[in-house]
Amino acid sequence: MNAFQRAYRYITRKPTKSMLLMITFFLIGNLVILGLGISQAADNAKILTRQQMRAAVSYEVDYEAYWRYTESLTDEDEINKAYQNYPRTSAETALKLTEDNRVKAFNYMTNTIAYSKDFENVPLGNEENRGNSTYIDENGNEQIYRDPNIMIYATMFPNMIEIAEGTFTITEGSFISQNDIDQGRNVVIITKELADQNNLHVGDTITVSTIGPYEVDMYREMGFTEEDFSWELEISGIYNTLNEVDPNSQEFQWMPPYQSPKNIVVVPMTAYSEVMSSFAEKQFRYYQSQNPEMTDDELENWTSGYTEPSRVVYLLNDPMDVEDFIADHEGDLSPYTKLNANNETFKKLARPLDTLSFFANIVVWIVIINAIVIITLVTALTLKTREYEIGVMLSIGVSKIKVVLQLFLELILIALIGFTLAVGSGSLLAGKVGDMVLDYQTTSDAQYEDNSDNGYYWSGDANYFTEVSQDELLSQYHVSVSPKLIGEIYLLGSAVVLIAIVIPSFMIMRLNPKQILLEQN
Amino acid sequence: MSTLLKLEKLNYGYIDGGFRREILKDLSYDFEEGTFYTILGPSGSGKTTLLSIMAGLDKQESGNVYYQGEDIDVMGLNNYRRNKIGVVFQSYNLITYLTGLENILLAMTETDNKIPGNKKELAYALLAMVGIVESKADRLVTKLSGGEQQRIAIARALAGNGDLIFADEPTGNLDSETEQEIIRIFRMLAEEYGKTIIVVTHSNEVSKLSDKRILLKGGILRDL
Repeated sequence: MNAFQRAYRYITRKPTKSMLLMITFFLIGNLVILGLGISQAADNAKILTRQQMRAAVSYEVDYEAYWRYTESLTDEDEINKAYQNYPRTSAETALKLTEDNRVKAFNYMTNTIAYSKDFENVPLGNEENRGNSTYIDENGNEQIYRDPNIMIYATMFPNMIEIAEGTFTITEGSFISQNDIDQGRNVVIITKELADQNNLHVGDTITVSTIGPYEVDMYREMGFTEEDFSWELEISGIYNTLNEVDPNSQEFQWMPPYQSPKNIVVVPMTAYSEVMSSFAEKQFRYYQSQNPEMTDDELENWTSGYTEPSRVVYLLNDPMDVEDFIADHEGDLSPYTKLNANNETFKKLARPLDTLSFFANIVVWIVIINAIVIITLVTALTLKTREYEIGVMLSIGVSKIKVVLQLFLELILIALIGFTLAVGSGSLLAGKVGDMVLDYQTTSDAQYEDNSDNGYYWSGDANYFTEVSQDELLSQYHVSVSPKLIGEIYLLGSAVVLIAIVIPSFMIMRLNPKQILLEQN
Repeated sequence: MSTLLKLEKLNYGYIDGGFRREILKDLSYDFEEGTFYTILGPSGSGKTTLLSIMAGLDKQESGNVYYQGEDIDVMGLNNYRRNKIGVVFQSYNLITYLTGLENILLAMTETDNKIPGNKKELAYALLAMVGIVESKADRLVTKLSGGEQQRIAIARALAGNGDLIFADEPTGNLDSETEQEIIRIFRMLAEEYGKTIIVVTHSNEVSKLSDKRILLKGGILRDL
């Protein structure tokens, strides 16, 4: 007749007491499942969405923070100084981050718009709708304004995210090699559509202009020659891109041709820097000749935009590492730069789930604390009526530890039954209540908030963050009682019983068998 | 016969109405094996206190209790209660949500003494020895008469296989016929099984049937 057998007999032969206690545990179990179920469903929805999102982290200037800083300045000199020392991402930091073994691929690049000279861009399909803009030239003649039609990506490393993810696949020739980059070779890879449009092949050359036709005369007057703003590039590869524009998007009808992913060309950043820096330096020299007070010290400000990457984006192996990656490297960043994983938008989208999870967790804690108090009181009160029985057990040599163990086993057995029943009803309850609260929460948010920046669209500059809508995020929200949750319920129930037994145990330890039995006799 | 339980200079008292009342005063006594003792004494003489100290349910202020020459304080009172003795109370003190058989099995499980053979069969045999048949042994003890419960209490006292049985007014709640039956069991245990029985009682009928009658008076024990 060990402690377990005694506990079992007590439960089965004192059915009323056991039933009341079981109902208490059942109610507690329902509330805990309600809370944990909702909280876990919210967390799971976030995790599932996060897992489906691209694990992209962008290293960039924190314009908002710097704007706030400059707004806070009052001294004129300080303001000027702040604008002259505009924050920049550090090439050293950017490269250091690439060494993190969580990084799968990275884009260390800059981009600019340009004009095709000896080839045609791939039409977007919105040309008729857009129509033509005009301007009046120096001679007073009306001219048709020509949009930039080519987007140049200048990359410092061949391991681009688009290649690693398969968004760009080489169909002919090869991608920009490290050798091309190191040598600063004037090579380019172009899209298959652009090649087909112009019957271009690997080995052919294309020429792009860094200035628009309407600017040519102005630059000529400044002393520039055709060679200064024309860039001849040899095609080293032709690639296929999976990126597409959305013809149904609001922006499509006004989209200039360079925003078409088919009009993107990729060049080595070293070659790009050389061409653009020399162009910028020539500009600087011209303005210096017009304004003798300009010193050579200012030259760097003119050229740095072309020698440093405008965008550094890291693609991690696992989307779940994004938060840790940022946290681990935040300390390495210079002031007013940041690692951005588009978390703000994600957090904003996930706010209804966070609120739900927050309140669900509060409910769980309140229930747990109440459960401990209730079970402690019930056990302590029951103990008073069981003093005689305990006195008898102590008188025949049963140790106090075994008495406590029996009490614990009684509670845990009843709790097991209560929680098991609660698993069924609690999951139904959690599903209904969770949906109700979530509906209310999302309706409230939709009423009072402007979510206009929740959507993404192709804007020419690659968006490395996965497009996700609140509906997609919330569609992942499903309250279900998983084996993990059931495990947690039982674990939590055991912890509640264990804590609730502490005070009654002290009461038992203080019991004196002689005193109890004398009182009884 | 050798001494099973030795009381040596036991002292015990308590404060009552601002005055200290001495219950046991340098009390010494030797209890021998296989003997049926009854302790008599007027109300308030300290019989139950003495029994509690001898049964390891309470502690004396000074002095020692030796079981087979070993100090029970050194042995550990819980260990002593579990392995060396059995106690029978006036109000039976059985666990009410267990059957008679289960009450016996509880004592058997707790003892460190080797229980020969199958515990359940032995428990039935013990119960049969004190006059409880199987059908009654399997009932909850609350469904049994006072006499039957007391028989179960005696069987439980024997279940630990200790050599010493204490009983505090074991027949106090029973009719005279049942009282005779209980005394007969005690005598049998002493005579046939060599158990030492120490019964605290008011009853002259009970004491007459014991081997030795002892009087507790003025805090000391003396043979009658």
